[in-house]
Amino acid sequence: MKLQVTQENLSRALSAVGRIASGRNTLPILSNVLLSTIDNRLKIAATNLEVALTETIGAKVSAEGSVTVPARLLQELISAIPDGVITLELAESRLLVTSDGYESVINGTPADDFPVMPTIKEGVSITIEATTFKKGLQQVVGSASSDDARPVLTAVYLHTYNGSLYAVATDSYRLAEKALVACKDEVSLLIPASSLQDVLRIMQDDAKDITITYDELQARFAVGDVELITRLIDGAYPDYRKLIPEAFKTTAVIQKTDLTTITKVSSLFAREVAGSVTIKIDADSGDVSIRSVASQLGENTARAKAQITGSGDVTLNSRYLLDALSVISGGSVSVNINGKLDPVIIKDPAQADYVNVIMPVKS
Amino acid sequence: MQNSNIWQAVLGEIELGVSRGSFVTWFKNTQLLRADSSLVIIGVPNIFIKQQLERKYADTIKEILAKNGVTATRIEFKISSGPVANNTRIDDEPVSYQPAEKKAAGARQSGLTHAYRQGLNEKYTFDTFIVGSGNELAYAACQAIAQNPGTKYNPLFIYGGVGIGKTHLVQAVGNEIVKLNPSAHVVYVSSEQFVQEFLDAIRYKKNTDFAGYYRSADVLIVDDIQFIAGKEKTQEEFFHTFNALHQANKQIIISGDKPPSDIPTLEERLRSRFAWGMSIDMQIPDFETRCAIVQTKASQHNTELEQPVVEFLANYVTTNIRELEGVLNQLLAYCEMRNLLPDIAVTSTLFSNDKKRPKHLSARQVVDKTAKHFQILLEDLIGPKRDKDIVVPRQVAMYILRSELHLSFPKIAHELGRKDHTTAIHSVEKIEKEMNEDPRMRQHIIEIKEKLYA
Repeated sequence: MKLQVTQENLSRALSAVGRIASGRNTLPILSNVLLSTIDNRLKIAATNLEVALTETIGAKVSAEGSVTVPARLLQELISAIPDGVITLELAESRLLVTSDGYESVINGTPADDFPVMPTIKEGVSITIEATTFKKGLQQVVGSASSDDARPVLTAVYLHTYNGSLYAVATDSYRLAEKALVACKDEVSLLIPASSLQDVLRIMQDDAKDITITYDELQARFAVGDVELITRLIDGAYPDYRKLIPEAFKTTAVIQKTDLTTITKVSSLFAREVAGSVTIKIDADSGDVSIRSVASQLGENTARAKAQITGSGDVTLNSRYLLDALSVISGGSVSVNINGKLDPVIIKDPAQADYVNVIMPVKS
Repeated sequence: MQNSNIWQAVLGEIELGVSRGSFVTWFKNTQLLRADSSLVIIGVPNIFIKQQLERKYADTIKEILAKNGVTATRIEFKISSGPVANNTRIDDEPVSYQPAEKKAAGARQSGLTHAYRQGLNEKYTFDTFIVGSGNELAYAACQAIAQNPGTKYNPLFIYGGVGIGKTHLVQAVGNEIVKLNPSAHVVYVSSEQFVQEFLDAIRYKKNTDFAGYYRSADVLIVDDIQFIAGKEKTQEEFFHTFNALHQANKQIIISGDKPPSDIPTLEERLRSRFAWGMSIDMQIPDFETRCAIVQTKASQHNTELEQPVVEFLANYVTTNIRELEGVLNQLLAYCEMRNLLPDIAVTSTLFSNDKKRPKHLSARQVVDKTAKHFQILLEDLIGPKRDKDIVVPRQVAMYILRSELHLSFPKIAHELGRKDHTTAIHSVEKIEKEMNEDPRMRQHIIEIKEKLYA
């Protein structure tokens, strides 16, 4: 193997791929990246056996070949070398890295020892505009559970319903649902949330489209020259739609920054009670107030003006509320409540395609 | 067992040929699902491992399989949630389960995907409940209730000893009701938790919330009611809750370790109300049921046990299913760690040197415990007195000596200071008959047995 690449391209690719190659694995070779030449290009790949990430970059290839080398060392080396053209040359299993003034030799391991990178032979695929996908998923992915006891809830449920593609995640205490795009195909995928975080990370801001190809076991996300393959989670997602109420007794539309501030202030006093704060919506005074009591520390009430219909109050976890507020895009939000034990809905009144549901805390 | 034997041999040989890391990464948690002359199917935990094995190790596996007598023309790899896949750990939880959601100041986060099944654990279902002669009545009653809550047997009171499946059964009713009617408001609470919440409600002056919450239930399940005994204010609150629900034809299910009449310091008005509907006792499962339980639990761990092992375990733990499950888990964990097959040899060595459990009860212990249970003097029990309150315990002692130790009648008579073995024959028959007719007698026997094996 012998080829030339620019430092810039190689460094960028390695920092994306290198994240997947972790040293925390029983199999030492998983902390390596696989370098191989393909059609006058250089393919850089890594896997942690949950996902496999491949990035292909342009290169001037003069001899074909492949090798694996420790990801971290190569990445740090390349990013430290100044801008310019880098030559990679393989001598047996040693990788020579040379550029103007720098010469390094990295002891590699033959590519044959590297795990087989998964491939999807034939599958269905859908293509979504990259910004829509990225922004939409960022609003959802944080609501997934990290508890392996219910594997289904560690996934983001990507599915079609009434002609639209939806992304949903819930940890059974809160839920986020986003309608992404209109979609004619029948889709129903349970994608591990951790894999989706990796997908979001590889999506540069200038990416145009993302193509998702899947069969019943795995899914591939392709963005530009990068592609990520993840396993899918097997199981039935809970029928969550009937849990989202449609009508509300009490609604408040409030500036997002106002609500965020008063929630943050109140949450300071809620540490003792696992973050639970009481939101009170009062139609008479036109105020939304948030109150928290810490029997040791003291107590706090913060309020802000809002447009209100109906009065009511509900106790919920301030962390879930702040999480919801941080992913809602608009300038104002609406808080909708029914009873003390009924789900609370937080959404942007101007956008019907996103809802965040929070279950109250029973006090 | 056949397949796992073969696979163990194959893995043993592969392990010699590859590095430790590769072996652990690629071959751990694999299993042989099917092996016949034309097709071999190997179960693997995920897609990455499937593809790796397909492309890199298929030939090696084929070769080694052939050495072990399986000549396969084709090998397939299939993703299966095998014995050590992601989610089996849930099944290993002990039978008792308290929702750990309780946070400071009595606040509890309610769940979204199980909004109306507070406290219920989804793993307790009728499907996983094993029915035997000791619990079939309770099972049937619970099934009937799950179909038509609030109409039949209201309240239902289930009682029985420790670890024989009360919690499983009452939770199964709750889960079944939620399944049939997702909007049903099923509240499951242990009486200890009820007491705690009541205290919190008083402390934070939220009595009306508390009452409202429990009175809005469609089905109220209270587990281990005996802990409410002696707490007067809580009993009063529970009494009102009970009345409100019963009036509205809402189903109430209660479990306890004794019949209502035997729980000390339970208020009379509650006692009479508990006895209002149906009281059923659950008994220690018989040998066949225990065997069935061992087999079912083992197959939940994807293991098939040989019949002698099953029988050994069923004989080893006789009074408590939770303990039986513990022993089985211990056996499986031991075998997994040492790569052994759970056969009778391993099982009997593993559990033979357990000092806690006297393998053979002595006749003396039985007599002693019986006397203690009935709170009479040992001298009286084996002495000449013929008062009624001494004669009955004496007969019970004879019955237990016969049923548990299988002593001969003359020996039984001798142990209790009687000369004539016909006394023993008569006593055993009498108690057997009474056990069928009088639940109190059954309860006595169960309690004494529990003390004997505790």
